[in-house]
Amino acid sequence: MSQSRLNLLLCLLVLALFLASMLIGPARLGPLDSLRALVAGGDEATMIIMREIRLPRAILALAVGFGLGLCGAVLQGFLRNPLAEPGIIGVSAAASFGAVLVFYSGLAGAAFYALPAGALAGAALSVVILLAIAARHGSTLTLILSGVALTSLAGALTSLVLNLSPNPFASYEIIFWLLGSVKDRSMNDVWIALPLMLAGWALLVFSGRALDAFSLGEEAAAGLGVDMRRTRLLVIAGVALSVGAGTAVTGAIGFVGLVVPHLVRPLTDRMPGSLLLPSGLGGAALLLAADIAVRIIVPGKELNVGVVTALIGAPFFLWLIVRSRREIF
Amino acid sequence: MAGGGRAHLFSPAGRRWPRSGRTRERHPAFRNRFAALATLALLALPAHAGEAPARVMSLNVCTDQLAMLLAKPGQLVSVSELAGDPSLSFLHEKAAAYPRNAGTAEEVFLARPDAVVTGTFSLHNTTALLRRLGFRVEEFSFEQTLDTIPREIRRMGGILGAGDRAEEIASRFETELKNVEASLCGPSPTAIAYDQNGIALGSGTLADSVMRAAGLRNLAAELGYAGMAPFPLELLVVHRPDIVILREPLTEAPALADQITRHPALRALKTSHVGAYVPPGSWACGAPAVLDAVRALRAVREEAAPCGKAPSG
Repeated sequence: MSQSRLNLLLCLLVLALFLASMLIGPARLGPLDSLRALVAGGDEATMIIMREIRLPRAILALAVGFGLGLCGAVLQGFLRNPLAEPGIIGVSAAASFGAVLVFYSGLAGAAFYALPAGALAGAALSVVILLAIAARHGSTLTLILSGVALTSLAGALTSLVLNLSPNPFASYEIIFWLLGSVKDRSMNDVWIALPLMLAGWALLVFSGRALDAFSLGEEAAAGLGVDMRRTRLLVIAGVALSVGAGTAVTGAIGFVGLVVPHLVRPLTDRMPGSLLLPSGLGGAALLLAADIAVRIIVPGKELNVGVVTALIGAPFFLWLIVRSRREIF
Repeated sequence: MAGGGRAHLFSPAGRRWPRSGRTRERHPAFRNRFAALATLALLALPAHAGEAPARVMSLNVCTDQLAMLLAKPGQLVSVSELAGDPSLSFLHEKAAAYPRNAGTAEEVFLARPDAVVTGTFSLHNTTALLRRLGFRVEEFSFEQTLDTIPREIRRMGGILGAGDRAEEIASRFETELKNVEASLCGPSPTAIAYDQNGIALGSGTLADSVMRAAGLRNLAAELGYAGMAPFPLELLVVHRPDIVILREPLTEAPALADQITRHPALRALKTSHVGAYVPPGSWACGAPAVLDAVRALRAVREEAAPCGKAPSG
């Protein structure tokens, strides 16, 4: 399938799921009425539901999914590791911890961007640590094990901060930060996260050409004039912005970045650079679909969307490990 | 956590009675240690027949309210830790004068009270253990409505040997409640008590009976929600209740739980009265302070639907 045709198809899929997400909810609104209220206004209740409740939810699912899919493709290409993914290598958990630290200490109330700044710092720190480890020991296994260690540490620190909070609700919010959700988010959350995520995506897409060169090996890439240090900075900053900003408002959502690049790779020319956009779009579609599923499966008692992505992703992860004894790329 | 109630995710109930899970974990060691001491304890404990207990310990924030109201000076040995929490304990200022307990059997054993008052809902293991150790434990049900409050006041009075004072408080409560209910007029606006995490207080709750006494229709109860139940924000917007009763944050420490009470969708409801109308802690427990909640909601009702006029929305 040609690259542009694949992207067009995925765009249509994302659009369809976005619309479906806007039309599903406990308030049974007519599809035409709701879309009219979204665009043109009209009935007060319908307008509030569409604009203030469902729109931010759909936008966040789309954007966070896009960022996770994109980051998965970038990390898999850059690290030349089929198991790399923000959730598995501990970036999401570290971002969660950064956000938790800022939010529950009350700093988040002080400045609009304090919350994503905390998550960004956590995400960036974890990427730097992982790249340092990966640079020294290149094996797939080392990176994944380091990720497991980072995820456990960040998860434990998150739980610690939440348990120490004097607010009795805080300790029940562990599940949100470890298995994210886009339920009842507001446009405020969109304004906090979206600009930063857009900046992150731009940096990552910019690294695409260098990723292609990397697939030939580091020396060949250097021969082609690719600046290793610059690419590394692009990847660190891009992943930290995309994952950090998203996690700050939705909690850690795992496995999207793992599953999607593997699903779309056979449909591309298998170059890491041309995998970026399809993976982003695929991630957006997957998270939108998962978020629709949580609303349909148990209405009224919503699951966290991170539960669904983990239910899909974890068995996939196991299957990949079994398969990686052979050849994946 | 024992029982794993999903409600724990949303409600402070898990915190209000926080010990059940932990006590269960400790239980075996606990039992062994105390089994040996039980005989000693029985010898040391005074008999509890006839006269009022001289030293009483309250293990639950709701029994705290009644005990602080009725105990004679020096009679109440300690109250629960939550008695000092303004969002759950209306008499939190009064509670400052009492030592606090965390509701564990160890503390009771060391304090050796003549009687223990606690909730049926809380501390099942602790209650059973204390009874085995020979303590007199009086349990109070927390499935309360306005109608059960006078009975609970009288019962606490009986336990504490303050029957006259309890009778006085209980009958004053009944009279005032009757006066409020008699003065109801005109239409009943709809209302919803919308707590942290989007939990609504449905039928069977104290809040439900308070709303009805204040002349309001409880939207959550009418839609079939019972007890403390998650109520979708979308449904709230669809039904546009005339009054949305929010709850103040429990502490200054932030939590995501409070975000829903600040959600732009609630602010956008132009025809609804939205606010934290009920004085903090006033309807957390069945105690005379509940009348303050009734009066506060009466005032909002007057504003939302003055007598003789149709409710807005």
